[in-house]
Amino acid sequence: MSETSSEEMDNVGWVFYSEREEWKDVKPILQEEGSQPIVAIAYSAKFKDVYDYLRACLYNNEFSERTLELTKDALILNAANYTVWQYRRMILQHLDKNHLEKELLFSKSMIVDHQKNYQVWHHRMVIIQWLNDAGNELNFVSQMLSEDPKNYHAWQYRQWILSTFKLYDNELQYTSQLLEDDIRNNSAWNHRYFIINHTTDFAESAVLKEISFTLNAIEKATKNESPWNYLRGLLIHTSNGILDPQVIQFCEKHYSQGNRSPHLLAYLIDVAYEKGESHPHKPETGELLNRAIRMCNDLITTHDKIRQNYWKYISYMLEDKLRNNKLIKCDSNIVLEI
Amino acid sequence: MEGEPTELTRREHIRYLKQFLKLLPDTLSSYDSTRLTIAFFSISGLDVLDALDEIKDSKENICNWIYSLQILPDADGNMDRCGFQGSDTFTIRVDDSVQSCNKQFTSGHLAMTYTGLASLLILGDDLSRVNRKAIIKGVRSLQQDDGSFCATQMGSENDMRFVYCAAVICYILQDWSGMDTEKTIEYIMRSMSYDYGFGQGPELESHGGVTYCAVAVLSLMGKLHSVLNVKQLEGLKRWVLMRQVTGFQGRANKQEDTCYSFWVGATIQMLEIFDMIDFAENRAYIMTTQDSLTGGFAKWEDYIPDPLHTYLGLSGLSLMKEKGLLEIDPALNITQRAARYLKKIQGTWE
Repeated sequence: MSETSSEEMDNVGWVFYSEREEWKDVKPILQEEGSQPIVAIAYSAKFKDVYDYLRACLYNNEFSERTLELTKDALILNAANYTVWQYRRMILQHLDKNHLEKELLFSKSMIVDHQKNYQVWHHRMVIIQWLNDAGNELNFVSQMLSEDPKNYHAWQYRQWILSTFKLYDNELQYTSQLLEDDIRNNSAWNHRYFIINHTTDFAESAVLKEISFTLNAIEKATKNESPWNYLRGLLIHTSNGILDPQVIQFCEKHYSQGNRSPHLLAYLIDVAYEKGESHPHKPETGELLNRAIRMCNDLITTHDKIRQNYWKYISYMLEDKLRNNKLIKCDSNIVLEI
Repeated sequence: MEGEPTELTRREHIRYLKQFLKLLPDTLSSYDSTRLTIAFFSISGLDVLDALDEIKDSKENICNWIYSLQILPDADGNMDRCGFQGSDTFTIRVDDSVQSCNKQFTSGHLAMTYTGLASLLILGDDLSRVNRKAIIKGVRSLQQDDGSFCATQMGSENDMRFVYCAAVICYILQDWSGMDTEKTIEYIMRSMSYDYGFGQGPELESHGGVTYCAVAVLSLMGKLHSVLNVKQLEGLKRWVLMRQVTGFQGRANKQEDTCYSFWVGATIQMLEIFDMIDFAENRAYIMTTQDSLTGGFAKWEDYIPDPLHTYLGLSGLSLMKEKGLLEIDPALNITQRAARYLKKIQGTWE
């Protein structure tokens, strides 16, 4: 019952297209649903009326000002109808270009009401392409991200704006701000990576600066997965990779202070494994591998029980590495004896 | 922790899914353009519940309806718009002929073509009325220069979701001429993030649903292990396993959501490490989102169920071999029973 009354409220002052003088020349066309439709919808009278006229206008190939209004009503009733969006774009192409500025207002209201709908964001992208002007778009997206800082559509759209119009200048600052608001916002970390890529191409000095920014962030919340991933992403672009001495020193410090964040342990485990590959004969490598196996055991029993079977798997790999390295060592001893 | 594990309320889920095949209230008008996907969730969900018998009397009718949504080549033999539409919103009757109200706005949609073909298979249709050649042409026409796919000829975003839909269609119809597979693989690999998950496109944030799409495409091509190197494969394994909180989240530092028990769970299955997840925690989370009175699953506890989360909740449970559920094929997202039936009819095409 409450649904009916709220619908009635929405419809206060609503005049059916069939009762509008200016639409008298159009003969509405019913949907042909067949005799036994599947997943049928009990369309409201308003929905039927709007779509009956929409079908008629499509049939007549009408691309006029009034059809712009009609598609607006149709989209408010179903924002996901990609055909109606396409029809609307074709209508816009037939009309004067000044409609495009106004279209941004309608687009905004639709995005605000349907923030996770693909069609509304795509439509806006096309309009901006046509205008070929980024206008105030970054502010608009910031506004949307302030409501939901992890909205995937908004981030995707933002990156499109930035790369299309080359507007990277103040963007690093923007991600810093968002990370200050929420250091766990993985979308903001991802965006930061995007910005560093496009503004510095991961030049050494920029990467070094980012590493210290990231270590600083990890220090604030060592169990936060996002900066750990970001850190590894940065290290791809350094000569030492995860064996970076500064980072290892940072990890060792926290480990010796009793920190047992699964991400910290995972890092040290990976370091041990990589040393097992790159420096199999160094005496400390065996010790590192043995310690990493103990770390796996700690993760299994205490710090990351939900992934205990994964850490068992990693532990086997480490044991394997240890065994192989010993074998290699034995082999070289034999060679020496001969 | 809490004693007896919650029971799956099978009867209620069957009733819940069946009602979506019939008549939806006007409050669900936003499903209007994608009715075929709703039909798929319902039909495949009933199959996972081993309850297709419940709709045996309407099978033929459902198949006919799905076929009515197929776009066939136009009078000039052009096939670029071929595929399935999601609904008959723009179908009209002029004199005695049933037709689209405007050809220019009529085109298949990859997500609809994929769910349409899958639904037909599940219902035991032999796909004999599918214009396979035309569908494949339609798929091919949607591939972009960067290797990604748009959904439809009528202007749409292009991303990994539609790469997946295109690949499933090629796989089902056993015709990979629907895409330039090299280009597709390039797009997928350029969309791998620094954390080894996959984003909707290059440089976008890793996401559980998208990672499913990327991995499933490589898996359907039989190239999962040749395309990904050891480092990427091991990194990906860790990324997907890190998504388990109790149930699964779709991105780092986000809340769990029932659908990721399938999206991420099925990815883990394709990576052949499914025994590395915590079954009890995952099941317990999914069950908190079950509505045992009305049937159905929601994304979160105490939220209203919907067809997508109901289907993916059931599929997520099926990956863990929940009693009473048929096993799911992780890459095709249909039951193994339906996947075996596909093999059988593919045999008749050779």
